Amino acid sequence: MSNMSLTQALPRLINSVPRSRSMEAVLLFWVAGMHAFQLAQIQLSATDNLDEQILLYWTPLFLASFVFHMVLRFKAKAADSLLLPLATLLNGLGISMIYRLDLAEAARGNEQLLGMRQVWLTLFAMAVAALVLWVLKNHMTLKRFTYIAMAAGILTLLLPMLPVIGAEINGARLWIRLGELTFQPGEIAKLLLVIFFAGYLTKHRDSLSLIGKKIWGVRIPRARDLGPLLLVWVASLGVLVLQRDLGTSLLYFGIFLALLYVATGRGFYAAIGIGMIITGGLVASQLLSYVGNRFDSWLNPFVQENYTGVGGSYQLVQGLFGMAHGGILGAGLGGGYPQLVPLAANDFIFAAVAEELGLVGVFAVLSIYLLITYRGLRIAISHRDDFSRLLAAGLSFVIALQVFIVVGGVLRLVPLTGLTTPFLAAGGSSLLANWLVIALLLRISDSANKQVIQ
Amino acid sequence: MSELALLLVRIGFVAVLWIFIFSLLSVIRADIYGRRVVRTVAEQSGSRVANKVEGPGNPDLASEREMESGGPSHLYVITGVGAGSKIPLDKRELFVGRAPSCELVVTDEFASSQHAKVVHIGGDWVVQDLGSTNGTYVDGVRIQTPEVLRMNIPVRVGKTTFELRP
Repeated sequence: MSNMSLTQALPRLINSVPRSRSMEAVLLFWVAGMHAFQLAQIQLSATDNLDEQILLYWTPLFLASFVFHMVLRFKAKAADSLLLPLATLLNGLGISMIYRLDLAEAARGNEQLLGMRQVWLTLFAMAVAALVLWVLKNHMTLKRFTYIAMAAGILTLLLPMLPVIGAEINGARLWIRLGELTFQPGEIAKLLLVIFFAGYLTKHRDSLSLIGKKIWGVRIPRARDLGPLLLVWVASLGVLVLQRDLGTSLLYFGIFLALLYVATGRGFYAAIGIGMIITGGLVASQLLSYVGNRFDSWLNPFVQENYTGVGGSYQLVQGLFGMAHGGILGAGLGGGYPQLVPLAANDFIFAAVAEELGLVGVFAVLSIYLLITYRGLRIAISHRDDFSRLLAAGLSFVIALQVFIVVGGVLRLVPLTGLTTPFLAAGGSSLLANWLVIALLLRISDSANKQVIQ
Repeated sequence: MSELALLLVRIGFVAVLWIFIFSLLSVIRADIYGRRVVRTVAEQSGSRVANKVEGPGNPDLASEREMESGGPSHLYVITGVGAGSKIPLDKRELFVGRAPSCELVVTDEFASSQHAKVVHIGGDWVVQDLGSTNGTYVDGVRIQTPEVLRMNIPVRVGKTTFELRP
């Protein structure tokens, strides 16, 4: 009788592990099929014939996703089986849309090969993420680097401010330039800061959540426990003032606030933090002209001066027109005019997707982001260790908040800011950072699932 | 391509995308509520044979051991936060749940504050679910009514498994 539990546990162990991986393989084939469909549809509607050129855009992602899958089979057997197909699907849709914009530019006589560049950058990002999975056997190692991560994060944030390598593009000082290559260090900084926040809050959550006087049923924390909150607020405002980037500063503060709430479970922090965001935003819109402009073109985009003015609402309004043209069912891939929006491949890729896939497609894309975030939070819940929980929750919030800030900006729900749509937008730094998020989540889910199976 | 074909292709892609998402949702559903356990025929007939052997005339090994040592003396936690710990059966009632007042405190999200209790009634230990959200499982089967607990049969509450040991 006593070996009953063993005989019961054994089939579960044998079934659950390879099953989740083979399901992942099936989903990856499905994703690859959809990617081929997109590319074929785009080429057919743009050039009226189908040639082998689309294979150049299709094959690399297909192979890379299966190499990644094999890495998981060897190094993280019990990892979540949905994250890789979901991220690959978005990445593939991004490549298709950028290729589609390239074709539209070629028709207008401008040769641009952003699509091919995106394919190479995807390969690079997935290779680095797979390498991280291969080398990092246990994410708990990261806990030891809590304060190093903080220092490295702040340092990488400050890199673009350096005289020689720092570069200013479109008014924001966020890039470093080494010869031909440009890189956005802020994307990596946000990962380092999530590691720091998770480590710091694991250590201090008790003093943050339990100590303090109770007034009208609300526990007010001690002034010294509010210190870190103030510090991060000041740092975020520093990014806003020095680097002139509204989105990034909102993202950093938002992640910290979300993790503070997850760690302590106290609504007081969330209320105070949201108050601080609103105060900071209002003050900045009065004092900093570029923030004021952004607010103005957000609230009054159809005013003539804003529409025609430099740095005005032209891009935003073109995006809105495009999405209106798409309607509910969309113009079909290759059937719309997304190239009429400035920077359609970067900031406004979401408007391009919305125009061609319509409301139905947009909801599908948003549900994919929702599923990624859901899986991340699910991993956070299922893990037993506090640091892992906070890290997984923080990484999920990175994706969720980016999507909210960008898509909200394009849809004119919040002021437009310069963040990238995860996995869709053209740009190597953002691809790299988001694939690293997926790699870390997979690593954490592997250890979470192993502890349950034991 | 004709207009109609284009329209079909357009709708077709979005439809495939949505089918993909819904199939993921069904995977997630299985993840939350668990897969349906289908017992093999061999297993079922095996347990029926075992039941027959366990009839009053033929006490099996386990119940023999039970008689010799004079019944269980403690709850042994097999998996979960307190894995390896022993809770002595020195009271008439033991509560299992998240509340600190419980004899066996389980700290996970899938357990209710007072999840189940183990009661000593007429020489038997009986496990009863106290209306918990996620249920109490004896030997892998969710119990609806109080169930007599025998030695070395695992009981699962949330992520914690325990059993009676001599």
